Amino acid sequence: MCLTACSALHVVNAQQMSIAGKITDAGGAPVSGVTVTIKGTSLATSSNESGLFTINANPNATLVISAVGYAEQEIRVAGRNTIQVTLQSDETSLDEVMVVAYGTAKKSTYTGSAKEIKASEINDQPNTSFEKALTGRVPGLQVTTTSGQAGAAPSIRIRGIGSMSASNEPLYVIDGVPVISGQTSQLGDYIANSNNVMSTLNPNDIESITVLKDAAASSLYGSRAANGVVIITTKRGKTGAPKIDFKSSVALSPTWATDNYESAPVQDQINVLYSVLFDSRKAAGLSDEAANTWVLNRFNNNFGRHGYEFSTNGTSMWENVNIAGRTDGVENREGKFFNWDDALFRTGIFNANDIAVSGANENTSYYFSLNYTTDKSRAILNDYNRVSGRVNLTQKIGKMLEFGSNINLAKTKLVGMNDTRNTSTSYLFQTRNLLWPFYWPTDYKTGDPWTARYGSLAQNQLYYNNEWENWSNISKISAIESLTLKLLPELNVKTIFSYDETETKDHIYYSAKHYSGATDNGVVHEMSTNIQKLVSSTTANYNKTFGSHNIGLLAGFEAEKNNTDYIRATGRDLPNSSLHTVYTAGSLNSTAYSWGNTIMSVLSRAEYNFAEKYFASASFRRDGSSRLGPIPRWGNFWSVAGAWTISKEEFLKNITEIDHIRLRASYGVNGTLPTSDFDWRALVSYGSKYMTLAGGGLSNSANPNLSWERNYTTNVAMEFGLLQNKIFGSVEYFNRTSKDLLQLVPQSMITGFSSTMRNIGEINNRGIEIEIGSDIIKKEDFKWTLSLNGSHIRSKVVQLSQGADIIWTDPTGGDARTRFIYREGESTLAFFGLEWAGTDQTNGRNVWYVNAEDGQGGDFDFNGRAATYDYTKANRVIIGDGIPKFYGGVNSDITYKDFSLGLNFIYKIGGKLYDAASRDVADDGYYWERIRSQYFVENTWSPSNPSGSLPMVSGRDLEDVNQVSSRHLYDASFLRLKNVQLAYKIPSHVTDRIRMGAARVYFNGANLLTFSKFKNADPEVNQYSSRGWEIPIAKTYTFGIDFSF
Amino acid sequence: MKKIFLIPCLIYMAAASSCSDFLNVEPTTAADAGAAITTAADAKVIVNGLMSKLASASYYGRNFPLYADAKGGDVTITSQGRGYDYLYVFNHSESANSYSSIWSQGYHCLAQINNLIESIEKLKAAGSSENFDNHLGQALTARAMIYFDLVRLYGEPYAENKNAFGVPNVTTLLNSDAQELRHTVEENYQQITTDLKAAEDLLSKTKANGFINYYANKALQARVYLYMEDFTQSLAAAEEVINSNVYTLYENDKWAESWTTEFGTESILELGVYPNEGDLGNSSLGAMYRRAAHGSSAILGYFTASTNFLDKLAEDEEDVRWSVMAPDELSETSTHPAERLGSSYKYSGSTVLAGDKKTGNSTAVNIKVIRLSEIYLIAAEAALKLSSSDKEKAAHYLNAIRKRSPNLALATPATINMDMIADERSKELFTEGHRFFDMMRWNRSITFDDDLGAISTIHREKTIDRTFYKTILPIPLDEINANPGIKAQQNPGY
Repeated sequence: MCLTACSALHVVNAQQMSIAGKITDAGGAPVSGVTVTIKGTSLATSSNESGLFTINANPNATLVISAVGYAEQEIRVAGRNTIQVTLQSDETSLDEVMVVAYGTAKKSTYTGSAKEIKASEINDQPNTSFEKALTGRVPGLQVTTTSGQAGAAPSIRIRGIGSMSASNEPLYVIDGVPVISGQTSQLGDYIANSNNVMSTLNPNDIESITVLKDAAASSLYGSRAANGVVIITTKRGKTGAPKIDFKSSVALSPTWATDNYESAPVQDQINVLYSVLFDSRKAAGLSDEAANTWVLNRFNNNFGRHGYEFSTNGTSMWENVNIAGRTDGVENREGKFFNWDDALFRTGIFNANDIAVSGANENTSYYFSLNYTTDKSRAILNDYNRVSGRVNLTQKIGKMLEFGSNINLAKTKLVGMNDTRNTSTSYLFQTRNLLWPFYWPTDYKTGDPWTARYGSLAQNQLYYNNEWENWSNISKISAIESLTLKLLPELNVKTIFSYDETETKDHIYYSAKHYSGATDNGVVHEMSTNIQKLVSSTTANYNKTFGSHNIGLLAGFEAEKNNTDYIRATGRDLPNSSLHTVYTAGSLNSTAYSWGNTIMSVLSRAEYNFAEKYFASASFRRDGSSRLGPIPRWGNFWSVAGAWTISKEEFLKNITEIDHIRLRASYGVNGTLPTSDFDWRALVSYGSKYMTLAGGGLSNSANPNLSWERNYTTNVAMEFGLLQNKIFGSVEYFNRTSKDLLQLVPQSMITGFSSTMRNIGEINNRGIEIEIGSDIIKKEDFKWTLSLNGSHIRSKVVQLSQGADIIWTDPTGGDARTRFIYREGESTLAFFGLEWAGTDQTNGRNVWYVNAEDGQGGDFDFNGRAATYDYTKANRVIIGDGIPKFYGGVNSDITYKDFSLGLNFIYKIGGKLYDAASRDVADDGYYWERIRSQYFVENTWSPSNPSGSLPMVSGRDLEDVNQVSSRHLYDASFLRLKNVQLAYKIPSHVTDRIRMGAARVYFNGANLLTFSKFKNADPEVNQYSSRGWEIPIAKTYTFGIDFSF
Repeated sequence: MKKIFLIPCLIYMAAASSCSDFLNVEPTTAADAGAAITTAADAKVIVNGLMSKLASASYYGRNFPLYADAKGGDVTITSQGRGYDYLYVFNHSESANSYSSIWSQGYHCLAQINNLIESIEKLKAAGSSENFDNHLGQALTARAMIYFDLVRLYGEPYAENKNAFGVPNVTTLLNSDAQELRHTVEENYQQITTDLKAAEDLLSKTKANGFINYYANKALQARVYLYMEDFTQSLAAAEEVINSNVYTLYENDKWAESWTTEFGTESILELGVYPNEGDLGNSSLGAMYRRAAHGSSAILGYFTASTNFLDKLAEDEEDVRWSVMAPDELSETSTHPAERLGSSYKYSGSTVLAGDKKTGNSTAVNIKVIRLSEIYLIAAEAALKLSSSDKEKAAHYLNAIRKRSPNLALATPATINMDMIADERSKELFTEGHRFFDMMRWNRSITFDDDLGAISTIHREKTIDRTFYKTILPIPLDEINANPGIKAQQNPGY
């Protein structure tokens, strides 16, 4: 039947004429190899090296111009002999074609909620990985960066928090295949660290990123799609002669983006410490004179060892401490203090170099790239580098078959990462906390390195940095092989086989001189985590138009196998400090094991539209996973959606102000799998070795009925374009209910276990996403586009197991950081702690609201409420919500002649952030020898500052500051100029002269301006809206050049 | 072309037909619980695992012995904020510093025991001919030991009020939604003695390094009956251990050395702590009592001997027990010019960190749960406190230990009294996890050496006794949240 249909179209018209044409790209450069077909026939030709072509055609014929990497165009001959064709890149074509689940879709006909970001919008930023560049670009997408350290993995949340215990990260799909994401290193068991497997993907290899938000867009990914899907498509060659692109950039980070708990001057620091210690002696019953002597003795012991001598003029609690130098050493430090900031931080340098060769003809398209990136962060001992290469190849075999191969090789190395609040392992910010300017890395008496602990828990990092090392190397090989069979013009079958092997090698070494290696006489661990992922999918796609009826059908099958092999070797008792190898160790220890899971799925989708005016679609997927027991193993996921392009209706045709209005709606179900492979089976595990004998025991409280979390998402949206598209945008409402949440439900410990993973509880996220833009100026050589996006999310816990509250601690820092509560009807990010009422202005003491259920109790009234000085009498309540009221981005792009200026702001309005570090830098007396911040010294109550908002310092075992309380809660609102980019495109008359295709120089400034209510440190906090002593984000200045031949 | 189209179809069919195999992924570090215990060898592996779990940091490896010493008055702290000082100042509530690890780890170990016992019973019922006796005996004895520890932490002393709440008595493997309530102290002790008696005859009488044998069971009976103030049974059990001659006391010249060796001649129950197993490194029990920065700057100098204890030991400058004491951090400061031997190195092997395994590792040191010296002191106390006091015997058993202070006069039936025995226990068993429990059962008050470090605290008085509510731990908040019925049974004061 096909053959008859095709040959019927072979009508050759006798009245032919010769047509000559020239094909160029948007920059005016000729493009060779472009296919020119006469519509409705199989007659075709292609352009030569100068972009020229000739063809014989009917004067009324239509030419179809198609080229890989460019939008297809149809041009009516209309009797012309010569035709000029300017190709529009896919990326800039008017009706964008987006990559979506298992295929592509035209933006104007797509029924789901998806947002595509083109690479051109986000490259040129000094990021090792693409995620950070998405900040403020996609409504409903929240990108949070926990740390400014090199190689750190940002966290992405699409439409809020839908899960309590399982992952809230989206599913990542690269070139049609789900991939490994997040941290792959096992170093976390030894030191806190952060390596990001996504950074093995060179951002410059990315063609586009599509974020799938609603069920219609994502439920085709079934059991892993509840948190949305991020689809990444890598570049492929475009029709034309081989093109060489070279990009190079250097970025400098000389300063932090904001203040970071700036320390008080050394004189203030010692004065505060004097008061604290003095008070502690008074509490122990000493006289003023004895207390003064004791404190000065302590100063002269602890700080005196470093060459200082201390005295006071009087003996009260509020003396000014005189600091003098000692003259009995090789160095007199009078008036000099050591600047640890300068010693531990440097100007960060980021350097990226890319070379890519690409091209295509009718049968073959190719893209090769090589990248070398180094990122030396502001912190000494924190370096990242990456070498990566990519080969993307497609080859047509005959008329029906196309073979594709995408191969990525990458190696990344991350050195010296460490982010934690714990002062004994994270030293980087001890400069604002424990490393007093009185401490020097050398002994003032001898000039030798200082190796003991200082008076507090701080130590000489310049010495210890030479006594330990750690790194995490990722080697990645990923091959995605595909075969597309075009059985009919309407029907193709595509099969993909992908193999991804990611090997993460971790190394950690502590010398015998390091405090962590001393008891072992030196220790070295080598770890290898090898993740293999195999995905095989086969899909058949059928698209057919019958008159005004357009039908698209998809059916497929997918299987995925994940396996991780882990090996660790540990050597203790190292004989030689220059040899950091397990081989040399006196005592050896090792382990090796593996784990994995499998998923098997069938999937299908049907799409229909009538005259591109009325749209309907439905999808269905059935998944089986080894992470669930044999009975609940299989689950169904589906969606339905519809859309209506109102502006195509007759009654709107005459209203010229309205160019485009479209409504769409969808509903569907998708899921989230448990994160653990074996929660459903009761196990005896054999990890309890005893006296070199194997030992085992029950290791879990299993739940054989464990199942998926299920997400039910409703999405309603309106898209619009008004006043000749002067104003365009969309408003979208979503309502996402997550049921059967995976939760570690606490159980009586008398059972022998503290929790079981169960499907219990319900969370609801609903909100509005707005995107609005305007081409304010749209002239030939002057364009200005301004766009704004924003999201409002209301994220609430609807139902919990037996209605019982669940108190949980911040996963990024545990109980030492902050505490949250899940309570029915409350936010999913509700801070839970004591309510601090402030400082009693009459005596400088901490005041706490009692918050008893009956409103009674308390020792006195404060602001009309029951209050107490004793925090143990106060009740914990919800003290704030970490979820912002509104957040998003503002983007402005101005092009004037060959210059362009882009501004990218991000903002957050409302919500609280919990500042765990403020219990360290604004400590009113629990931990004596801390360095207090400037803001604390300024605002602390004292007889001479009776209006101080922070309490008086005290040495009386004061635990107030350590409580999780509203004292450390701040307004999280901020506005940040995330990126500013100024580029100059060197005019073609210049580049032509030097036989260059195109050239461009640019400057990018990141985090240059920040406006916030929270002034003490960076307001851009992690996904739990908390912060501690992470390495802060820096201001970064990037200078780059791109050119192509 | 048709062939190419067939390939995916074939893959699909092949995969679909083997779905159930493809979706079955087995763990590599664990076995399904139902199939894990079928032979005596399997039971042995579970017993090994049980011993490892008992020796974890949460329980005997550190937290349990540390509790009894940090609160007993024989040790003190020089500064707050280094860690575990909340024990010393009694800063705990049901939600903060509840020290719940022994509760959770204790019941976790009990679940292992109950599972093992039930599995053995099932196998026996199914006609298994394997000999499970020794494993069963160890499991029952361990169950008694855990309940004895839990009731001492959470219940009032037996002699004070045996009708008070003890801990929930569980002898079967519970399912995950079970919510058990507390039994009385007396009911707990009944379970303890029942298990100990049931286990006796199942256990081997030869020395069993790192495991429980007949004499460990008897020694535990001596201790339990002493706490129950059943002095006849306590003395009988203690004497059976002493008279068996399986264990012998260290001579004075061997006493110091005994700490550098594992499984010495006094060691009746000793839990193995080995490198690469339960070694806690810088947070080991030994590290808690070392001088700050000794061996590593991560050693913070958590606890040191109280002045009162040092004065007691100083009654005889040649007391052999000085051999494990070394200068603490106060020795070097100007305010304490004299050398202060406040740091205890028992669990570091020696004052030069010899460890107990000749390996250079000084933190993987075995935990001595019951030593023969304690059994002599139990015998002495039981004999003294018999309804018809046997002072001759009491003096005999006490002197076997008291002679470790060569310059002190030996006790005689005329001079012996409870203070002498109490002081000897304090000196001999210093930092071995006894002092606080002893003071509680004796109903003595504890005066803390807060003056040494000028410690000011709002959480307790300088002197406490067992009427102070914080001498027993609160049922942890996590337990109450998951088991609401137990809220009404919370210990008073919390």
